[in-house]
Amino acid sequence: MSTTAETAARGQPRRRMRVDGWRWGGRIFLVFMVLYTALPMIWMLLTSIKSGFAAMQFPPQWWPDQPTLASYQKLLDPQNSVGQDFLRFFWNSLFVSTATTMLSVIVAVPAAYAFSRFTFPGRNFLFFAVLLRNMFPAVIFLVPLFILMRAIGLVNTHGSLILTYLTFGLPLAIWLLKGFYDNIPVQLEQAARIDGATRFQAFILIVMPLSAPGIIATAIYSFIGAWNEYIYAYTFLSKNEQLTLPVGIQRFFSENTTDFPGLMAASFIMSVPVVVLFLVLQRYFVRALTEGAVKH
Amino acid sequence: MTILTGKTGTRGGLRPLLRKIWEHRADYAYVLPAIAVMLIVIAYPIYYTVELSFFNTPPGLQLRDKIFVGVDNYTAILSSEIFWKVTSNTLIWTLASTFIAFVLGFACALALHRDFVGRGVLRAILIIPWVISAVAASYIWKWIYHSDFGIIGAVLVQFGLADRPPNFIDSVSTVLPSLIVVNIWREFPFAMIMMMAGLQTVPDQLLRAAKVDGANAWQRFWHVTFPHLRNVSTVTILLLAVANFNSFIIPWIMTGGGPSNASHIWITHIYELAFGRQRWGVASAYSVLLFLILMMFGYFYVRALSGNERKDGSA
Repeated sequence: MSTTAETAARGQPRRRMRVDGWRWGGRIFLVFMVLYTALPMIWMLLTSIKSGFAAMQFPPQWWPDQPTLASYQKLLDPQNSVGQDFLRFFWNSLFVSTATTMLSVIVAVPAAYAFSRFTFPGRNFLFFAVLLRNMFPAVIFLVPLFILMRAIGLVNTHGSLILTYLTFGLPLAIWLLKGFYDNIPVQLEQAARIDGATRFQAFILIVMPLSAPGIIATAIYSFIGAWNEYIYAYTFLSKNEQLTLPVGIQRFFSENTTDFPGLMAASFIMSVPVVVLFLVLQRYFVRALTEGAVKH
Repeated sequence: MTILTGKTGTRGGLRPLLRKIWEHRADYAYVLPAIAVMLIVIAYPIYYTVELSFFNTPPGLQLRDKIFVGVDNYTAILSSEIFWKVTSNTLIWTLASTFIAFVLGFACALALHRDFVGRGVLRAILIIPWVISAVAASYIWKWIYHSDFGIIGAVLVQFGLADRPPNFIDSVSTVLPSLIVVNIWREFPFAMIMMMAGLQTVPDQLLRAAKVDGANAWQRFWHVTFPHLRNVSTVTILLLAVANFNSFIIPWIMTGGGPSNASHIWITHIYELAFGRQRWGVASAYSVLLFLILMMFGYFYVRALSGNERKDGSA
């Protein structure tokens, strides 16, 4: 932290006569927040490389005496039953999240474009109706949706999850993308159409590339939402081989309540894909929020 | 099919409206997929919930044999003791989580606004809790709070602050605050991202002008930065409030609402009524009440968003 402070001070051309209380307060606050954020995750990692016996000690081993990757090997080994289950949950989550992401981009892009460009009767009403979806908790929809899914034969299929996940990703996706389209000058499209492009070509060749950050942000948001979703998956799926990771882990560890290293290893593996995805693409996400949602 | 005809007046009767709808028929095709999905997954469930809330559904009875009981479910709820317990829990949970998460997130955004070495790394670390699954977060914190082997208890004992590890989530008085800490851990990054995005829209010239005029850091913040962020703040706070009001996973996995309902909030209670005790009618009535409360939130949400819209239109 001290090197950060020195560099920041050097970067500042103006000489400061007195200690800037606000900046010091900010730094101390940031250190505190980083500890609050990171310590639980560090403890998760440290626990995950202990043996079950080492984890259950008081006072705890602050640093594992004999670090072991046994929990990870157990979870990722396709030979034993635990590994088989865990890997299947992993693929299920990956399939459901990817399908949800692709579908929500396909549905949200034209809708957001229409809300931004066209003035048709009921436009505002429909726009806010879509946004209102965010207001309601999953539990309200659980029972009726369960009955509906049974009626259309989707219970115990991944289709039921994909369809429901679509709807809670859509409102934010449409809102973000509409902000993007609002900022793309309509003259660009008009110029393309004067040059002989059809509206569809203008949309694909001009508008889509310009809104790429928005589409990437939308995709990340849908993927993370689907990957982490719990209630619907918990209610709609009952067959063990179809469970997604959050539910699978919960089912699994409600039987082995004391295997905390295994639980921490599973939590870690479950977090890796979304954290990596988000960290790689986060600048698009922040930019999309700035341009799409906030800057008006 | 005209691009941006501009807003034409809405006067005229039904016939011009129908003609307009017909003229714009192709435009609806773009929104149709979104609307169709929404209708299936939202409109029908809402209708069904309202209907079910007027019926009694004893366990062991098929749902189609439900018995009409009028508003009995509602009166039963409002006169029950647990309703008020759960409501006060929900209020504490929602208000405390929303307020603290917003303040912490906003403060982080401000502290990270100035460029310094390592800013990107700090930002990335701070965002991680928001990205990981709430199920994973619940298990991590459950382990941290563990009454025998939890690290917080161990630290307290090591420093002589406690004789033995305290019960965080097994005690009626501490369970709700302990869960709120977990919830804030997961939610403040969202406020941080939103406010960081908002901060980028505050014009630098204004801040510099204020500095030249002799405004100190606090005055610059209060008179220049903050007014610019009013809209973002409103939307962020509303989204946080709604998310907290609707949260389920953290209390459900960490305590299941216990001990003795001390951490039951509305959603976990409704879930238990419906799927635990098969009392669908009462659970639906709860949902309808919840729905009405959320409509109030929704009113402010739409107003905050359409505030954005109006400004957008005039720009």
